[in-house]
Amino acid sequence: MNQKGAFAKYLNRMGWLFVTPALVLFSVFLLYPIVSSLYLVTRKWKGLTDSFIGMGNFVRMANDSLFWHSLGTNFFLMAIQIPIMVILALVLAVVLNQGIRRFRGFFRLMFFLPAVTSLVAYSILFRILLQTNGMANNLLMGMGVLTEPIAWLNDPFWANMTIIVALTWRWTGYNMIFFLVGLQNIDNEIYEAAEMDGANKVYQFFRITLPLLVPVILFSAVTSTSGMLQLFDEPNILTNQGGPANATMTAALYIYRQAFVLNSDFGYATALSYMIVILAGFFAWAQIRILGGSKK
Amino acid sequence: MKKILTAVLTLAMLAGAAGLATAQAKKVTVWCWDPNFNGYSMKQAAEVYNKAHPEVTIEIVDIPQQIESKIEAGLQAGGAGLPDIALFQDFQIERFIANYPGIFADLKAAGVDYSQFAAYKVGIMSEKGKVYGIPFDTGSTGLYLRSDYLKQAGVNPDNYLKELTWKDILALGKTVKAKINKSLIAYDSTDYQFLRMIVQSTGGQFFDAAGKLNLNTPAVKAGLQVLKDLNDAGVLYQTEGWNNWVSAFNNGDAAGMVSAVWLIGTLKSQPANAGKWMVAPTPRLEGVAGAQNASNWGGSSWYVFDKAKNKAAAIDFLKSVWASKDPASLGFYNTILKGAGAMGTYLPSRTGATYTASDEFFYKNQKVYADFAKWMEKVPAVRYTANFNAMGTALTASISKYLKGDLKTPDAVVADATTAYNQQVQ
Repeated sequence: MNQKGAFAKYLNRMGWLFVTPALVLFSVFLLYPIVSSLYLVTRKWKGLTDSFIGMGNFVRMANDSLFWHSLGTNFFLMAIQIPIMVILALVLAVVLNQGIRRFRGFFRLMFFLPAVTSLVAYSILFRILLQTNGMANNLLMGMGVLTEPIAWLNDPFWANMTIIVALTWRWTGYNMIFFLVGLQNIDNEIYEAAEMDGANKVYQFFRITLPLLVPVILFSAVTSTSGMLQLFDEPNILTNQGGPANATMTAALYIYRQAFVLNSDFGYATALSYMIVILAGFFAWAQIRILGGSKK
Repeated sequence: MKKILTAVLTLAMLAGAAGLATAQAKKVTVWCWDPNFNGYSMKQAAEVYNKAHPEVTIEIVDIPQQIESKIEAGLQAGGAGLPDIALFQDFQIERFIANYPGIFADLKAAGVDYSQFAAYKVGIMSEKGKVYGIPFDTGSTGLYLRSDYLKQAGVNPDNYLKELTWKDILALGKTVKAKINKSLIAYDSTDYQFLRMIVQSTGGQFFDAAGKLNLNTPAVKAGLQVLKDLNDAGVLYQTEGWNNWVSAFNNGDAAGMVSAVWLIGTLKSQPANAGKWMVAPTPRLEGVAGAQNASNWGGSSWYVFDKAKNKAAAIDFLKSVWASKDPASLGFYNTILKGAGAMGTYLPSRTGATYTASDEFFYKNQKVYADFAKWMEKVPAVRYTANFNAMGTALTASISKYLKGDLKTPDAVVADATTAYNQQVQ
């Protein structure tokens, strides 16, 4: 008895020892910032000087039309880019899974490669390609597609399209990999049975493949949504700090600028980031409710 | 457990000892952002200093992107990871002095004679009798023009090497556009510096004496009108961002631009253009009182952090090279002007041979440095305040709407920018 108790105690101690590093890191990098943000958010914080203003930062947020405009940009990009990317990733995954036999590994690699390139490097490259006298315009004009160069980075509409194209280029391959894994987990016997029953390929896709992929689509949509709410690098570098005239200003970029460029106002920046956290949480909940409901 | 604890403690002590060892070796760390310009200048200064003080190592670290954000993060962390000396752009410094009280060492108390520096550089770094920085370079501006393009358009370049107005330049731009289909001025649409230079050339301000934004001035509105006229006549060559802007005039897509003396190094990186460039005085804004044929763009200064590990060595280094009439120091100012086009603001240095030399890279061997130095004396001072970035951001967005036609009049631009500014700064 005694012996057993000592062993349990030992196990317990070892257990705590093993989780200690994780707990320490969690406290330092997650718990502490969350707790201290509760303090920060009630203060007008200019660099090293600060004073208590209660809910003042939230009142200010309510009246800050540029912040609401930048949130609108997030939603606009989200509404257009995520569906395009998810559909494209799904099509690519199906083609790579069933259509192409040769060089399959090569194509997978090529589509996934953009996801591992540096955000900064690819933003700068896109920037150089898309400037008014850049390669993209020269190529399109040389082929006769365009007669006038498009101001990809200097026109509010085209700047947003540029961001959508860049994001799609970078993240489609990444999501495609999840869909590929999902496809390979679907048992071939199901398709064989369907074929016996006379279901054609299109019918099979919509009645078998798609329903069985719902968890993967859900995962892809949730992570993309929260990624989109935090969109920062592309508007910061590719379209030059949310330009032209704040057309591509996103919420995360605006928060960064309030803290590090315009005002040194870390209290207000914290209040703004609360908004993003609430929104990201809400979207994750809503998507799980909507898509997850079909599983029951 | 005990063993682990002992190990951790030993490691901590070792790390502490290592920290102590580096402190004794007297290493002064400097942050700046352009190895061919300010980094080069600091390296030359270090060589001069090391002749008398070989025991001090001066380490120059290149921070190519967003140095202010990096410093701000360090300041929030109680000074962790910051260097001893950092270079700040003049328009950024008031934000740090106002929002981070006491972070810079008072160099006036350390004995620097500020009467020897250009006054407009010293004003912005002063606060309640203290002066924090060592002024580095001037951003005296001029209108750079490609003489060969002017000739192709049937214009005699020599007629434009004198003090002119924006009206003259608009007419010239129309001629060049009509004759050889080139835009006269490369323009960066992601920046508001062009308008800022025009406003500063009149002595116009963006903030009133109390530090409150005031864009509703004759200089701002007349400047906006000039910008719009140039744009609508096709005289501006639109580019997006710095690199795009540089390639526009270095590749010859545009026939010129308004910029500062520090751009000469960038122009010379394209040796094929030798003999083609000329620099005219900054055009004057007609109809606004106090308008000059001179303005300023950029310029930066060195600052020592008050909590720096090697504060004493850092101050001694700056003082004995950058603020001394010693022949070695004056020679150093000539070296950086010759090597990098960095024109200092230490007044005794302006008698050097490089300042008066003619430069064969320019049309008819123009004595460009003498010209820029001459124009520098007339540069009106501008108040930056802690909120200059926010003002610039708001103005950039509103100007972009104006040039596209979404805002119709200078008054509408002023109102739009003021609203945006007031929402972002509180």
